Amino acid sequence: MDKSNQQLGATALKVVTYRTGRFLYFLLGMSFMLIIWHISSLSTDGELPGPIQTFSVFYDLVSHPFFDYGPNDKGIGNQLLSSLERVTKGFIIGSIIAIPLGLIMGSSTLGMNLLNPMVQVLRPVSPLAWFPIGLVAFQSAHTSTVFVIIITSLWPTLINTAFGVSTIPQDHKNVAKAFGFSTFKYITKVMLPYTLPHIITGLRLSVGIAWMVIVAAEMLSGGVGIGFFVWDSWNALSLEKVFSAILIIGLVGFVLDKSFKSLQTRYSYDS
Amino acid sequence: MIANPNILSEDKVKENILLRPVSIEIKDVTVSFPTPKGEYIAVKDINLEIRKGEIISLIGHSGCGKSTLMSTISGMVKPSKGEVIVNGKKVTGAGPDRGIVFQNYSLLPWLTVYQNIYEAVDSCIKNISADEKHSIVERHLEMVNLTPHKDKLPKQLSGGMKQRVAIARAFAINPSVLLLDEPFGALDALTKGSMHVELLKLWNLDNRNKTIIMVTHDIEEAIFLSDRIVVLNNGPAATVKEIEIVGLPRPRNKKDIVNLPEYKTIRERLLNLLVEKFSIEDEGVKFEE
Repeated sequence: MDKSNQQLGATALKVVTYRTGRFLYFLLGMSFMLIIWHISSLSTDGELPGPIQTFSVFYDLVSHPFFDYGPNDKGIGNQLLSSLERVTKGFIIGSIIAIPLGLIMGSSTLGMNLLNPMVQVLRPVSPLAWFPIGLVAFQSAHTSTVFVIIITSLWPTLINTAFGVSTIPQDHKNVAKAFGFSTFKYITKVMLPYTLPHIITGLRLSVGIAWMVIVAAEMLSGGVGIGFFVWDSWNALSLEKVFSAILIIGLVGFVLDKSFKSLQTRYSYDS
Repeated sequence: MIANPNILSEDKVKENILLRPVSIEIKDVTVSFPTPKGEYIAVKDINLEIRKGEIISLIGHSGCGKSTLMSTISGMVKPSKGEVIVNGKKVTGAGPDRGIVFQNYSLLPWLTVYQNIYEAVDSCIKNISADEKHSIVERHLEMVNLTPHKDKLPKQLSGGMKQRVAIARAFAINPSVLLLDEPFGALDALTKGSMHVELLKLWNLDNRNKTIIMVTHDIEEAIFLSDRIVVLNNGPAATVKEIEIVGLPRPRNKKDIVNLPEYKTIRERLLNLLVEKFSIEDEGVKFEE
């Protein structure tokens, strides 16, 4: 009894040591970065704001995140929420288009031959190139931004879904054939479960790129949003705000990626 | 050793077999595949008549086309020439009258043991209620002693357990023909032995009405289970080399039958049919048998 308690204690200690170790490395890396940042700030005679100035501005921004004093003066929370709203809308619509198209592409040679050339040509185009098309089509900068995000979210999801479907092992197909699965049963019990991890990988890549593109898209569209906030702060010559926005964008992107990663772990399986 | 009166002469066995209705007819079947180097003929001009309730083993060296031949019965492979008739109907594709146990179990990894069997039952047996389907699944899980593991995923099972699920799945759709493609090839000798007994138990429970065709390269396994053993030539263009009749009485007991002179004779003959090739390749090595 005593011995097993001791062992348990030892294991717990190992876990704690491991976590503390990782945290110490994190602190070490951060301090390096802050020191380099500080030195760069000093070497430009404060033209580039250092960490201390930035964090005081950052603190001001996040301590009153929600306020609305007219079109050019909104809280950082408002800006962030409106960007997240656009990304969410665009990402959802894009995924609703991309997943079925990917399933069709992956499961039929005809679908692959029809769609693949188009996908290969359009995929390398920066989604921002679609912005003017969106402006003409929707007559609204806001909708046009969502349109850009839709285009952004298409390709990784489409390609990963198609890849997933096209790699369904012959064994699984044989089971469906041997036991006479209906098309519906094949889709729900073989195709989708096998492809799901690939779809989630596609979604994870899509949301990551969408979050990068939204900043640039909002610089073009203006109005409200975290990208516009960056551009507006530059125009107001407040680099502290720009740095703070970069930090916030990074943190939100990190959280988005982590949540999709946990989905990935949840729905992966080993055969 | 005194001759065992239960052991049937070859003629008697043939006579008994001919009393049963025909289950499967393989007529002039040739299977060839197009390859970049031209046509590859896997099996050529195979003729075989299998009666209802027979257990038949297809045996031969790897790559001799025994799995291909079986796939023509299951409908997964279309013969290039000739036809296969199962229960009076020409085979044009897979069907629920033929249950298949694949070499590598082929369970769907995202479904539990229970669901793997249920989905097969659900697609193959129409016109019964969901309750009846569930009771079929429960019954077959019970038969292979997997009820305690029914909610596990395939990755949580050992090889033997996976194969029991696959066998339960094949039996659960109540086919008249069971096709086993090297079903026990990946199992260790002990597990294999108990799986043989379980397979025969399931076959007995159904009054030995199911026709079973098994691909194997294990001579002992073939003798223990089969009524007839079909020996194929080496591919390409494999043909039937010999059909051995196993007259050992059922129920067979593994420990007892190995001592019967008839068992030894059949084993000897099969070995001669299959092993002659090795003795040439192994020149200089003393080959004891």
